[in-house]
Amino acid sequence: MDWTYIQGILMLAGINLIAVLGLCLLTGFTGLFSFGHAGFMAIGAYIGALMTVPPATMAGNIGGFGLPFAVGIVAGGAAAGLVSWLLGRITLNLKGDYFCIATLGFGEAVRLILNNVKTFGGARGWPGVPQYSTVWAVLVVDIIAVLFLANLVRSRHGRNMIAVREEELAAQIAGIDVFKYKMIALIVSAVYAGVAGVLFGHYMTFIQPKMFSMTKSTELTIIVIFGGLGSISGSVLGALVLTALPELLRAFDIWRLVFYGAAVILIMISRPKGLMGGMELSPAGLRKVAAARRARLAFRAEALREDAAEGLRAEGEASPGGKA
Amino acid sequence: MSQFLQQLVNGLSIGSVYALMAVGYSLVYSIMNFSNFAHGGVIMLGAYFGFFSLTSLKLPFAAAFILASAGTALLAVLIERVAYKPLRDRRAPFLYFIISAMGASILLENIVIATIGPTFRTYPEIFAREPISLGVLSIGRLDLIMFFVSAFCLAGLILFIEKTRIGKAIQAAAYNMKACALMGVNTDRVVLIVFALGGFLAGVAGVFFGMKYTVYPQIGNITTKSFIAAVFGGLGSLPGAVIGSVLLGIIETLVAGYLSSQYRDLIAFVILIGVLIFRPTGIMGKSTEDKA
Amino acid sequence: MSANVLEVKGLTKRFGGLAAVNDVSFDVREGGISGLIGPNGAGKTTIFNLVTGVYKVTAGEVSFQGRRIENMEPYKIADLGVTRTFQNIRLFKNLSVFDNVLTACHLSAKYTIPEAILRLPRFRREEKVLADKATFLLEIMGLQDRRDIQANNLPYGLQRRLEIVRALALDPKLLLLDEPAAGMNPDETEQLMRLISEIRERFKLSVLLIEHHMDLVMGICEHIVVLNFGQKLSEGSADTVSSDPKVMEAYLGSSGGNKC
Repeated sequence: MDWTYIQGILMLAGINLIAVLGLCLLTGFTGLFSFGHAGFMAIGAYIGALMTVPPATMAGNIGGFGLPFAVGIVAGGAAAGLVSWLLGRITLNLKGDYFCIATLGFGEAVRLILNNVKTFGGARGWPGVPQYSTVWAVLVVDIIAVLFLANLVRSRHGRNMIAVREEELAAQIAGIDVFKYKMIALIVSAVYAGVAGVLFGHYMTFIQPKMFSMTKSTELTIIVIFGGLGSISGSVLGALVLTALPELLRAFDIWRLVFYGAAVILIMISRPKGLMGGMELSPAGLRKVAAARRARLAFRAEALREDAAEGLRAEGEASPGGKA
Repeated sequence: MSQFLQQLVNGLSIGSVYALMAVGYSLVYSIMNFSNFAHGGVIMLGAYFGFFSLTSLKLPFAAAFILASAGTALLAVLIERVAYKPLRDRRAPFLYFIISAMGASILLENIVIATIGPTFRTYPEIFAREPISLGVLSIGRLDLIMFFVSAFCLAGLILFIEKTRIGKAIQAAAYNMKACALMGVNTDRVVLIVFALGGFLAGVAGVFFGMKYTVYPQIGNITTKSFIAAVFGGLGSLPGAVIGSVLLGIIETLVAGYLSSQYRDLIAFVILIGVLIFRPTGIMGKSTEDKA
Repeated sequence: MSANVLEVKGLTKRFGGLAAVNDVSFDVREGGISGLIGPNGAGKTTIFNLVTGVYKVTAGEVSFQGRRIENMEPYKIADLGVTRTFQNIRLFKNLSVFDNVLTACHLSAKYTIPEAILRLPRFRREEKVLADKATFLLEIMGLQDRRDIQANNLPYGLQRRLEIVRALALDPKLLLLDEPAAGMNPDETEQLMRLISEIRERFKLSVLLIEHHMDLVMGICEHIVVLNFGQKLSEGSADTVSSDPKVMEAYLGSSGGNKC
């Protein structure tokens, strides 16, 4: 087990994590399901490559603008965000199913377009993307991504998104502009996916449409589910574990997805809060869990006391009193 | 002109397969207000059931066909019981259903890959290859059969829903599930029957798809088109699903014929965007408002 | 013009061929407690949905403090000062009691997303205001000691109370209560009556409630509107309405008797 191998896994996990965090916000906190976020990754990857690949010197090479990595990251994220805004305008004020189907179509459409557009290499892809992604770069982006998300979620804006997930109608009545918050969640998730795409392309040094298939989209969502809807730390752990696991269990690779599929169903019917049970591995998160448990126990004790007092009273009066 | 008509016929033929897929999906949607994304997996297994009935069990075509469709009907019911019923009982949010459906879809696709293997299978030739000529048009025998069997199944379904008591119960449940339960209808059974019907149609669609093209684990992905067709025709409307599918099939074939086959798959997405922007309720759709 | 906080004129809502609400008009006076009663299916909740923007009107007008609000987006109407509770409780079930109220306080803060992400001073300041407000509301409504319990673990009666607290967090001028006493025994109903009166006094708002518990309605409603089959049957004070023969017939049939 050499360092380069472990490094590779960490890189992939770290890159996956960014896209996963985006979906964590969209699905875990706002309750919207996307089948096509790999499409946003693809947009990020290709636009990012367009920015950073040096201009074509030989015929047959696809050239870019040769700009620095940072430009590629910003451009990739922004492009993904812009497209998501368009998608959101069309679909977010319709019922939930329409959004799901649209993301399904969107993911496939992006892949198809990239497959057929020769300028970006078509199905064979775009080789020669500079390897700008380093472990440190990914780590820094990861930290920023987690902090941004955590700060967003623990604010009135984040709470509004959670309210949309919990009870959309009640959220409306509570003065929350549901459309606006769904849109924000969508755009942020798309930007995150786009940035992940840029980092991915600059790690693999080549990009192909088939890297961004529906399988990729569903894998990202699976990680969010395993980690637990509504838990950022769950997504972090999930990304680490579920990226590393397949590498370690190479032999069982075919069965991996079978297991995932079954596990997802099981999680939904028994413990939708996933690995982390909806709680966060942070000081505030743990405090919250402890407080809730204390409150529940105190409440139960009080109820028992009341019942006991009730029982004594009933015996004393020897009459059919008591609660309705 | 004759080429145009020929394309039309081809489009109609693929459209009828889409219609079988879309109707099964729309049927479930109309009752449960939920998109059964595992539908594709059921269709795929229908293709495999038919294939193995013909090759391993060496059954005659009609028997294999029925067996495959009965198998998918059972499978659909099984999926409902395992993946959806627990959520229905808990009145889980819509999101959980979609996620569970996704899980089922992944499970089905990959169980096939892991056990049977990803290689493409081809159906043995049941119908003679040479097409039938009707004047300037030529129609493949398979296409003709597909069209008639589909039409027959759909007509049968419509009759069932309109004329039988259970059909009425389904209509009532589609309108308002809760009221239906209060009226003494066994909604569990209605859901079961609906899934069985949808599953049956999926089996028919799967077998036909396998016969016309090939059999492989990712057939489920084709159902994206049938979802789009259902939206196009109006989500929850059965006639809409048929109309949307047929139109999609025709438009797709015309685009592939006159523009380029590369755009064939893309046109479905363009139609979807168009529908969502201009008429989200689809061709036959009715708008519904949430009851508080 | 007399101070009407809510005016409903010719309100009509059709679903397909069925008119759930048909040409209903009534007013709610500022500072008053009005009741909307009628048999099941009479259209009461539909009217609530029309007033709060959940449904679009087929015809008619709704005016709040002199301003036309029919067909506005629900969140905008809430922002203007109309809030409600639901017949089947719609709390944010998985959130704690405190978080339910804290979320609803959001309109009392103005900080933007970037300010939240960067944890700028305005964020910290306003968050404290929100937390204090939520705590204050929970205290006066008697839920402060249960603030950390998950909303769906509360007993039924307290869940209903929490819904009211959440509605109050938006600083409403008009509070719509949809069957607030559902499932309560006479003691609890009595408590609720006092609570509603207190709320009206303390928060200086008007109340419109839907109820089937006649003791509650007759007890605190100064003005009652009776609906049947989507149409207004009668309107007036508790005495007027309870002696109206049309009302008696609709509720009790012509045989008379006691309504529970």
